[in-house]
Amino acid sequence: MNMLSKQEYVDFVKEKSPKSPMWRSMLAAFFVGGLICCVGEGVSDLLKLIFPAMTEEDVATWTTVVMIFAGSFLTAIGVYDKLGHFAGGGSIIPITGFANSVVSPAVEYNREGVFFGVCAKMFVIAGPIIVFGIVASVIVGIIGLFL
Amino acid sequence: MKAGKQSFYVDNPVYIRSAYTIVGPKEGESNFDGCFDLVLKNDLWGEKSFEKAESKMHREAIRGAVCLAGLNFDEIDMMLAGDLLNEISASSLAMRYFQVPFVGLYNACSTFSESILLGSALIDAGCARTVTCSTSSHFASAERQYRYPLELGNQRTPTSQWTVTGAGCTVLTANRPTREEDKRARESFEEKLTAMRTENMSNGVCGSEKEQEKGSEEANGKKIKHSNISEGAAKSAKTPFSFRKKEDDRVAPQCDKFYERTRLAKITGGTFGKVVDLGIEDESNMGGAMAPAAADTFFAHLEDTKSSPSDYDAIFTGDLGRFGKEAFEYILSKEGIKLCGTYTDCGASYFKPEQKTFQGGSGAGCVNTVFNGYILKKLENGTLRKVLVLATGALLNKDTPLQKETIPGISHAFVVETEDF
Repeated sequence: MNMLSKQEYVDFVKEKSPKSPMWRSMLAAFFVGGLICCVGEGVSDLLKLIFPAMTEEDVATWTTVVMIFAGSFLTAIGVYDKLGHFAGGGSIIPITGFANSVVSPAVEYNREGVFFGVCAKMFVIAGPIIVFGIVASVIVGIIGLFL
Repeated sequence: MKAGKQSFYVDNPVYIRSAYTIVGPKEGESNFDGCFDLVLKNDLWGEKSFEKAESKMHREAIRGAVCLAGLNFDEIDMMLAGDLLNEISASSLAMRYFQVPFVGLYNACSTFSESILLGSALIDAGCARTVTCSTSSHFASAERQYRYPLELGNQRTPTSQWTVTGAGCTVLTANRPTREEDKRARESFEEKLTAMRTENMSNGVCGSEKEQEKGSEEANGKKIKHSNISEGAAKSAKTPFSFRKKEDDRVAPQCDKFYERTRLAKITGGTFGKVVDLGIEDESNMGGAMAPAAADTFFAHLEDTKSSPSDYDAIFTGDLGRFGKEAFEYILSKEGIKLCGTYTDCGASYFKPEQKTFQGGSGAGCVNTVFNGYILKKLENGTLRKVLVLATGALLNKDTPLQKETIPGISHAFVVETEDF
């Protein structure tokens, strides 16, 4: 196998391997992501309607809670992964996607027991997000202290 | 006898006595529908985890093949087996049930041809008379080990492949089977399989686990009396309200065990492959990583055996996938070799397009189930006379790509020919 150089082959693979259909992926992500956000808005409006005394901040918190529950529930009954196959980033970026990334390993590693299975592996995917979130909030907090 | 640098010929004949395959539901509906011996309806197969299910498939595939050969386990000298799980656990756990020396192998998805080559070499050298060669893979257990949890809503890349849920076993033997023997073995297959399971249990091999598998009402009363896995009719008759619908987990055998065998397949040689790495970094593009290895072994085989591609009725690569197949043909074309019509990739042709597997099948069970379920039958009924099988494997684990290693590939090739039965 002397006729083919390493670089030549890497270039061939780069050029010829099938690519994700860009427009289709982006459109699906745009619409599904938008839809999830619309549902979130709807939940927030409903909460305002049912509990008129609730402050704006509380409504936002409870909306988040409801959306996280919805994401976890759909993961548990095996719907969210199908949505994800279709929508990609559209269903990963919203908070429901975050719930999915925590619940799916928890479901998967249930068989290794509660301690080293569910609890330890729950953050396999969401771990970096949580770490970055906490670090960023600490930095912002420190900056805010001196401003 | 050694030939060239990497190849060998078998001096004493090594016959393929029997083969048995078990696949999951998706594979049962694939292009090879109707080729497999057993198709599961549920890929958990009544077990608590996918790993346990894979191990069970592996175990049952071995039992099936040995029964189909009309042999007993004390006539098996050695078992060569491997799979994709950590420390080849599916094979190791399956081997607890057999009192036979076990040789564990790992070469990723090319483990099957590795086991066939080593098995033939052992028989040829007189170290063993009869060996079993088995491998397995399971979509859910592989996905969990190498990629993400099943329920995670991510998109698979278009270069990704679908790990085949399947286990298969080939029995190689130095003794030439006669037609009568073969016929008798096939006729008494069901009976023998049931007897073998019962015997295994009364020996107390992994008794506790067996009890777990049994319905609770049975475990309380008479212990280990009749086989738990002989399920189906016997069990449902006994416990009409059983919630463990075991009989629903498998469908009736798909292929006809009595298909006409006019030819006898035998392994006549093979080529051990080198590890080849052309610098592919993307772990979801394993076809691209494995194609150079397949081509390397192919060239080595042609050179060592002084043969040309036209000497073979058919050439099969393992699980390069659709893109890998293209890459393989590209590398061959650079060397001025063109395969016309005789070349097939098992992985690329495994699934139907509507099954949405992108590049096709992969995994240690891919080339295994295709060979045992499809190619072997074609050989035995005389459609194919001489076949070269190049199983391919990508040698990576979950951590190596993260440590910025490129993906090495490997490929082992074996040659199957036939003679009059």
